[in-house]
Amino acid sequence: MGFELKTELLHSISATKLERLRFADYKAPGGKLVRVRLREEQGVIRSIKITGDFFLIPEDSLGKLEKMLEDVPLREAELRLLIDRFFRGTGAQGLGVSSDDFVKAILAAEV
Amino acid sequence: METWRLVDVEYRDNPFMNLAVEEAIPRVVGEGKSPSTVRFWHNSNTIVIGCFQSARLEVNMEACKETKTEIVRRFTGGGAVYHDNGNLNYAISLRKGHPLVPGQNLQSVFEKLSEGSIQGLRKLGVKAEFQPVNDIHVDGKKVSGAAGSIRWNTIFHHGCILVNSDLSILGKVLNVPRVKLEDRHVASVQKRVTTVRDELGRDVSTREVRDAIVDGIESCYGVGVEPGVLTKEELGLAEELYQTKYSRLEWNLEP
Repeated sequence: MGFELKTELLHSISATKLERLRFADYKAPGGKLVRVRLREEQGVIRSIKITGDFFLIPEDSLGKLEKMLEDVPLREAELRLLIDRFFRGTGAQGLGVSSDDFVKAILAAEV
Repeated sequence: METWRLVDVEYRDNPFMNLAVEEAIPRVVGEGKSPSTVRFWHNSNTIVIGCFQSARLEVNMEACKETKTEIVRRFTGGGAVYHDNGNLNYAISLRKGHPLVPGQNLQSVFEKLSEGSIQGLRKLGVKAEFQPVNDIHVDGKKVSGAAGSIRWNTIFHHGCILVNSDLSILGKVLNVPRVKLEDRHVASVQKRVTTVRDELGRDVSTREVRDAIVDGIESCYGVGVEPGVLTKEELGLAEELYQTKYSRLEWNLEP
């Protein structure tokens, strides 16, 4: 029991030390808002939620993008590569938001 | 000449059912079982948020409680809008490949399918103009916003027109992020929107605007618009969507 407690304690300490929540409200050219909430651990995205008043069809592709961004380094080159690949691969169409806007919104996320 | 079906099916005090009907129609139109359709409808006090928005971030929940404003999520993107009985909603469903909007470009859907409303408003004397991405403006102020999608084999476009809405409630229930207002040099959402009533300087009913838009659609697109009803399949699907999606908190309020 003592061991379990210690393990839990260690987990909570490592979580508080290494994980950070980052937020951004990024306005795309044209006025649409991209709001990013992400959990980062040592420079890597662990989970991300993107919301906003943009258009993206098919609509369910946003969830796919969020999934693809998990475990991706929070660095411009990697993000750009992945998000460009998302648009090419899914044939998704953004309106009021582009691949570049998603990259910029994620990079703008601050603690 | 093509004939479009006109339906005035609405549930003013049940915005969840209104949004269920809104989804049922394009789904059935896309299957080729219903004709091109334009629907007009109203919601009592309701905020309708876009499918990608966070209710928690966009909506002032306390103000909603105080003003008895409901919150419902639609299936299309775009921003939050406030509906009351002074706001007229319209929705156009065309089968994919319809000659009016032959491409797959959402921006051209908004431009083309806003034209009927713009023409209708101009007939009433409102100097309405399309404002990309998805708005109709009068002298720099928004009078109407649209949203839409291309899915279920359907071109779908819907919009709301502020006819004589209570803009004071709108200002309370919507949280407009500061970053949204910065460029527009206005202090509040209330100051950057207008109503048909304010533009015309007289009382005007949503029915009058609806009739003008029907005229606008007929002359703009060269179609006939004739009153019709929803099919059993559409009503059944709407009921199902209401039960499984639109009446549920997890659809409307999460994330």
